[in-house]
Amino acid sequence: MSHQRFEFVVIGGGPAGQKAAIQGAKAGHSVLLVDKMGHHGGECVHRGTIPSKTLRETALWISGYKQHAHLEEKVSCDRTVDNLMRRLDSVRTAHERFLEDQIERNGVERWHGRARFTGGHQVTVEAPGGPERTVEGDHFLIATGSRPRTPNNVPIDHEHILDSDSILSMIYLPTSIVVLGAGVIACEFASIFASLGVRVTMIDKSERPLGFMDEELVERFLAHFASLGGTFLQRRVIDRVEWNGTAVEARLEGGEVIRSEKMLCALGRVACVRDLNLDLLGVEVNERGVIPVDEFCRTSVPHVYAAGDSIGPPALAASSMEQGRRAARHALGLPDPKGSGVLPVGIYTIPEMASVGITEVQAMERSGEVLVGRADFAELARGQIVGDTEGMLKLVADPSGRELLGAHIVGVGATELIHVAQMAMVGGCDLESFVDNIFNFPTMAEAYRVAALQIVQAAPRELRRVS
Amino acid sequence: MSPESTTPLPEIVRAPLAERTSELSLELPMLPDTASRVMGLCTAEDCDVRELAELIERDPSLAGHVLRISNSAAFAPNEAIVSLQQAVTRLGFSVLSEIAVGVALRGQVFRVPGFDKTIRLMWMHSAAAGAFAKDIARTARRNVEGAFLCGLLHDVGKPIVLTNVLDVCKQARVRPNKPIVETALEEFHTTVGAMLVERWGLAPWVVAAAEHHHRPEEAGAHEVEANVTNLADALSHWALSTRDVGDPRTLPSVAALDLYDDDMVRIMAGREAVLELAAAFA
Ligand SMILES: Cc1cc2nc3c(=O)[nH]c(=O)nc-3n(C[C@H](O)[C@H](O)[C@H](O)COP(=O)(O)OP(=O)(O)OC[C@H]3O[C@@H](n4cnc5c(N)ncnc54)[C@H](O)[C@@H]3O)c2cc1C
Repeated sequence: MSHQRFEFVVIGGGPAGQKAAIQGAKAGHSVLLVDKMGHHGGECVHRGTIPSKTLRETALWISGYKQHAHLEEKVSCDRTVDNLMRRLDSVRTAHERFLEDQIERNGVERWHGRARFTGGHQVTVEAPGGPERTVEGDHFLIATGSRPRTPNNVPIDHEHILDSDSILSMIYLPTSIVVLGAGVIACEFASIFASLGVRVTMIDKSERPLGFMDEELVERFLAHFASLGGTFLQRRVIDRVEWNGTAVEARLEGGEVIRSEKMLCALGRVACVRDLNLDLLGVEVNERGVIPVDEFCRTSVPHVYAAGDSIGPPALAASSMEQGRRAARHALGLPDPKGSGVLPVGIYTIPEMASVGITEVQAMERSGEVLVGRADFAELARGQIVGDTEGMLKLVADPSGRELLGAHIVGVGATELIHVAQMAMVGGCDLESFVDNIFNFPTMAEAYRVAALQIVQAAPRELRRVS
Repeated sequence: MSPESTTPLPEIVRAPLAERTSELSLELPMLPDTASRVMGLCTAEDCDVRELAELIERDPSLAGHVLRISNSAAFAPNEAIVSLQQAVTRLGFSVLSEIAVGVALRGQVFRVPGFDKTIRLMWMHSAAAGAFAKDIARTARRNVEGAFLCGLLHDVGKPIVLTNVLDVCKQARVRPNKPIVETALEEFHTTVGAMLVERWGLAPWVVAAAEHHHRPEEAGAHEVEANVTNLADALSHWALSTRDVGDPRTLPSVAALDLYDDDMVRIMAGREAVLELAAAFA
């Protein structure tokens, strides 16, 4: 029996799959996008980035952190999550409509169903409710994303013990919550709930949260978290978790028991590759459960590509989109995209954090010497105006004080501000250009001048350009 | 799932029934006192389990029911639950309050003299729908706590419509035969149910589930809850064999909730436990 055939078959319609499909169709190729969810946008739009950021925005508004950090009083809020998330529907609908439009406008065919490989160039798609269709393709992209990891000793019931897929389905804000984990998702939700007045306890085996971020940023984050009543229990190992009928109990090794009304388990994510039948094709999956790819996102099987969370870190929406685009271009014989590879990281905790390039510690390890400049937001007119006196920008430069190696920011606008440093690094601007050029006043971007000036002044005199 | 009524109602019954069920003139039962107090406790910021146990203890028939239901397979007790205190610690606040609300409603709303068997079936259907709704919500990563009430109350309009259609028939000197009663129930139960739960001050998604469980696509912001309830309604009919719903796995709400065959097989495997729960509630 002959099946419908497409030049490019994309499995998964999140950021990676969506961008890849559009890229392929724009270049005039026949493209099929298969997603097991009926809605457009993938986990990113429905359970990940967009919902959590919408709740965060509301939390910021309620806690008054954003515009009114100087005000003592908190805005009283209706404690239903449904109310807090009310804006989500319009945000999600608008975004979804935009994605749907893009898919239709570019002539991408979209099927609602769960795909698995049934041949070297063949995929079978099972629609919800049963019926199956088989399709053939020249090239394939696996963009099936990831799902929360569920450890054996944490019985997630999505009612009392939740994961990041179900946490936002709560109707009422609990009075207390334990967050297991200290990664990005754990810290984001922990700080959002704390700023909404929930008693939050974050538990992790590590020394400090967000181990890959600059230590000073994390310290400031933890100080703010503590000021909201949050507790971080470091170096704790979970023995088991149970719902005892009235509370969730986290039993730690050593006998400690932490009780809370709800629990969020955020102990990492696993790539969604298990049901794809990859063995049939010989697509390699490594010991961490992700698909190894080359620089063009090609798997061990040349006509099969993978992108996004299914290939592992950095597992961010923006990097997933870029990988999807790159995979599509390579698969369809289009010229490779020009990208610098300088990738910013944004963490939407309260306060938010962002970084690009390497940290002070990494720079020291690399060359044994480093110059660092800092700007406290409290010293900036804009910082005082917006009431952010806890934020900070930190620049890391090579020992000559010329080359910008990294930038790290915590505080209001961090995830936007970081792009100034990113573009400076991409464009090869030296530290002095931050001092030489004029930024608007009053702005948070002034922090760049303050921090850069410290470095320039500390740099060896003979290497300086400005006196 | 769409309602199965086919026979049009005689105008002599339809017109006064429509008149009665219009918001202003319908007499609606109050939310049973115990149910309203239990719900009040649930939404309080610091819900107190002991207070709930005391509330239940004060009503011996309620307490008896709660114990019976607590011991049903749906809650899979490892050991027999013999006291309310034990039920409280074993089952927890939310489950216990669901049981208490259910039992209170059963006694006061699901009661139409002379129609015990019909009402009993209606009630079993509601209880089973509540249990299925929880499992569906859990599988679809939607709110589990709110789903039970959506399922339990989706047909709460039916006993009221039944009471009224009997009354209207009596006044119009029409024999309330099966087709008339069934058609009236199908035609009016969603509107009346929604009016009722709204008047009781229940959450908007419970109102939407009562109103739109046959047409979830019309439920606007609460389409998900309406889909969960639609599927729970069908599964309940399937489990109790009260209506031919075909293969529940092929229903549009299954696709709307992005559920797949393995999800449905797992949910449907809970049939026995759900049936036992429904029987315990009845
Ligand atoms: C709570 C949370 C907050 C986050 N916040 C941020 C943030 O602020 N910034 C950021 O950059 N990133 C954030 N992320 C990460 C970001 O959402 C992911 O990196 C991104 O969504 C990955 O995109 P993707 O295309 O790989 O996969 P996904 O977005 O996960 O989409 C994968 C799609 O594949 C589909 N699928 C899976 N298996 C199959 C199959 N067999 N057949 C058909 N379809 C299938 C799924 O239905 C899904 O639609 C967050 C994640 C979470 C969970």
